[in-house]
Amino acid sequence: MKDWIGLVARLVTGGVWLVAGWKKLFDLPENVRAVRAYELLPEAVVPAVGHALPFVEVTVGLLLIFGLLTRLMAGISSLLFIAFIIGIASAWARGLQIDCGCFGGGGFDADAASKYPVEIARDVGLLALSLWLVVRPRSRWAMDSLLFSPRTTLERNDDVEEEH
Amino acid sequence: MSKKSTDQTRSSRAAAAINAQKAAERNRYLMIGGVVLLVVVLLVVVMAVVLGMNAKPDKNQKATPSIATSAADAGGTPAELKDFGIFVGDPEAPKTVTIYEDLQCPACANFEAVVGKPLAAAMDAGDIRIEYRMVGILDRYSTNDYSSRALNAALTVLDTAGLEAFRTFHDDLFVSQPAEGGPGFENDELIKRAVAAGADEDKVTKPIEDKAFAQWIVKANDAMSREGYGQTPTVLVDGEEVEQDKVLEEIQ
Repeated sequence: MKDWIGLVARLVTGGVWLVAGWKKLFDLPENVRAVRAYELLPEAVVPAVGHALPFVEVTVGLLLIFGLLTRLMAGISSLLFIAFIIGIASAWARGLQIDCGCFGGGGFDADAASKYPVEIARDVGLLALSLWLVVRPRSRWAMDSLLFSPRTTLERNDDVEEEH
Repeated sequence: MSKKSTDQTRSSRAAAAINAQKAAERNRYLMIGGVVLLVVVLLVVVMAVVLGMNAKPDKNQKATPSIATSAADAGGTPAELKDFGIFVGDPEAPKTVTIYEDLQCPACANFEAVVGKPLAAAMDAGDIRIEYRMVGILDRYSTNDYSSRALNAALTVLDTAGLEAFRTFHDDLFVSQPAEGGPGFENDELIKRAVAAGADEDKVTKPIEDKAFAQWIVKANDAMSREGYGQTPTVLVDGEEVEQDKVLEEIQ
């Protein structure tokens, strides 16, 4: 059962990262402006972050969907969601009216204040799913179980797969 | 079998099991490390290729538009292009009005409809100089990247036909602005309107179709964002942001 929850967590979080990153890849300059609009990072790193983030998001998304390096990717995913939640909350607190740029876009948005709570709630939900995978990375249909032999112990040498 | 030898077998079997265990753990970590390395290398290669393709200089690209000198402009309004600003009017005018605008932005069309004429009159009277900061940040609001293509066409008109043709084209595109969310004018239509504004069809066709100022537009968009503005229209009077409906009071 827990393995099925892991699969759902992987597909949902991974799917969101894949779509979000993919949509940004086609207008990287726009993503740089979206990052800058948060007014949080120093200008020296804004272009690098704006260019790299979509690639990282697509990578994390793909690997989560395939179930490869699940714990590491879920860890990166959790850190990114924490950063985004802080970013959106801080933009909200400072009264900035910006499109979060989560799925491309970015910059000014007159309706921003009404969207912030929904965006934060969504990211908190995805953070929870990511953290589940950090704690319990084993899940159904994951490449991890094909590539990496399960941890063995001296007392119990039986293959964990056989438990199902 | 003596008790001693049984003990030996036991301990050597235990040792072998521990070694096998250690080897398995080592293999596991080697495998994980290998996959991590592979992923990082792939990521870096893909990024380098994509960013490299974006940065590749395109021979059809023009670094910056110029302001063509045309007969229509002779003895007319002075104009100057500085960084990303198209300055129109007397450089000695007491006030400068800076307008960040996007040809796809309905609020900009509205702004131009309401204060475009009074601002032009103030400029003609020598009271203000207008700095147009044209940007193309609203490509996602049309199905065919109208925002940046329209700006590219406007810059082409400025570059080939001069200021008066640019102003006519600029005003025309705001008055007949395509609605957000649908297709904007295709290049053919932009060329037709450019010619109607006074540009030469032979000179504008290629730069409009090649999007000759695409890289300039990316830089202009970035400059606006670095200056801290994310919204069009943004209106400044002598560098100070003002409410767009207060601009006529501010220049009194």
